Amino acid sequence: MGLAPFETVVASHHAEIYRYLLRLTSRSGDADDLSQETFLRAYRAWESLGDGANVRAWLFTIATNLARNYFRSESRRRRAYAGVSDVRTDVDPASPEEERRFRETRVLVERVVDGLPLKQRLAFVLRKLHDLEYEAIGRSLKCSPESARAHVFQALKKIRLGLNGHELPMMESVR
Amino acid sequence: MTAKHPSCRAIEVDLVVTATGDAESRSAERVHRHLDGCAPCREEFGRYRAVDQVARGLRAVPAPEAVAQSRAGLESRLADLRQRRVAYRIFPSPLGHILVGRSEHGIALVEYLGGGTTLRASRLGRLEGVEAVEGGPELEGLQRELIEYIGGARRDLDWTLDWRLTTSDFSRKVLQATAAIPYGAVASYAGVARRIGRPSAVRAVAQALRWNPLPIVVPCHRVIGTSGRLTGYAGDKLGLKQRLLSVEGIKLRAARRDFSVVRDAMYALDEGEVAYCLPTCGSIGTRSLAKLTLFASRESAEARGLRPCTDCRPDLHPLPAA
Repeated sequence: MGLAPFETVVASHHAEIYRYLLRLTSRSGDADDLSQETFLRAYRAWESLGDGANVRAWLFTIATNLARNYFRSESRRRRAYAGVSDVRTDVDPASPEEERRFRETRVLVERVVDGLPLKQRLAFVLRKLHDLEYEAIGRSLKCSPESARAHVFQALKKIRLGLNGHELPMMESVR
Repeated sequence: MTAKHPSCRAIEVDLVVTATGDAESRSAERVHRHLDGCAPCREEFGRYRAVDQVARGLRAVPAPEAVAQSRAGLESRLADLRQRRVAYRIFPSPLGHILVGRSEHGIALVEYLGGGTTLRASRLGRLEGVEAVEGGPELEGLQRELIEYIGGARRDLDWTLDWRLTTSDFSRKVLQATAAIPYGAVASYAGVARRIGRPSAVRAVAQALRWNPLPIVVPCHRVIGTSGRLTGYAGDKLGLKQRLLSVEGIKLRAARRDFSVVRDAMYALDEGEVAYCLPTCGSIGTRSLAKLTLFASRESAEARGLRPCTDCRPDLHPLPAA
């Protein structure tokens, strides 16, 4: 009945989908609800999913739809971005000085990302934090891969602008 | 911001995608050639590099306990859903569209959809506590077997049944007694009532059969009135009953907007007996159908382990074949 394979779907992808939703909502309770809902929906549609389908991209599409509904409620959105964040991130700093600069930059970037128009923000997170193909991002956002690319580009430009005048952490040389 | 040189503006998009690792090799080459001669763009490139790196560092790292807890919650909801899940398949048949639903416990529902062809025509979507999901190719076998059965090419449906959609213990008893009526035989509503030890509950038996969630496989079409008339089937589907019985070789004749089984063309089994008789044996011809099971053929009687009566000898004087 296609049940055993669905358990492997949960095992392989639950943690990542949870991370994605935590990044978007900043709240572990919401990440919990939305990730469970993502998999319950996936389970219901599992039988009708074609054989060669990209399961991971499909799960991201479901999660993204749920996240968009979630943000449609404006009050939630405000709460998510002003509220206490449950998100910790990983840093691997070279020196204490570097670490401080990295953290400062991250706070700035985070602020810009959270303030992006929703589609740009989703495209950006899917691309940069989860390495999804533009094809899959387009499907998640119901737009073309080119538009998905454009959303990410706009996001990068805004982040870059948000960092004007801020000293950035040292990166390896240009080449 | 100061005005940019046109060549810098022209290369801006490629510069951003190259710095952030999204460029094809051709545009990357173009960008690097430009950077060699343009210090401001080199700096810009470095900043985008940094932006990309910081951005990738935004990956959320949830507390492992939170993830594990969420996963455990999900698993238990999935287990609950699985319990309630019925995968269904709808297909055309000589009796109109039929829906077959299977849960993890077995076949839970067989339903005539009348004129309908989708889930909307079924009660499956409206049953409380049931999670209807469209089944995949694994239900094709059920469809094939049922079609063969309806066409007479198959005599048994060896399906494991899920009785949970029966409405009460009483209904379940009625249905299980009905399931024991063999292929090619008929019994009466009153007979089923006697078999479950409730001889006066004839109407309740008829009601339970009317709401049989598993028609065909639980052969409520083999249950008729004591008058020999078919009387009813699944509400208003008498024609289907007549058809299913004819396929099994039961002889019927039209009788005022109904059909009647031809008693004197069938073998009979008296209550509590293990031998089947000719319709003319002793007082069989005048016995109430409440106490008899009628068989269309010797084969259908003997398939149940019954032997011919030693008085009337149906083995020596078989009824003429139809």
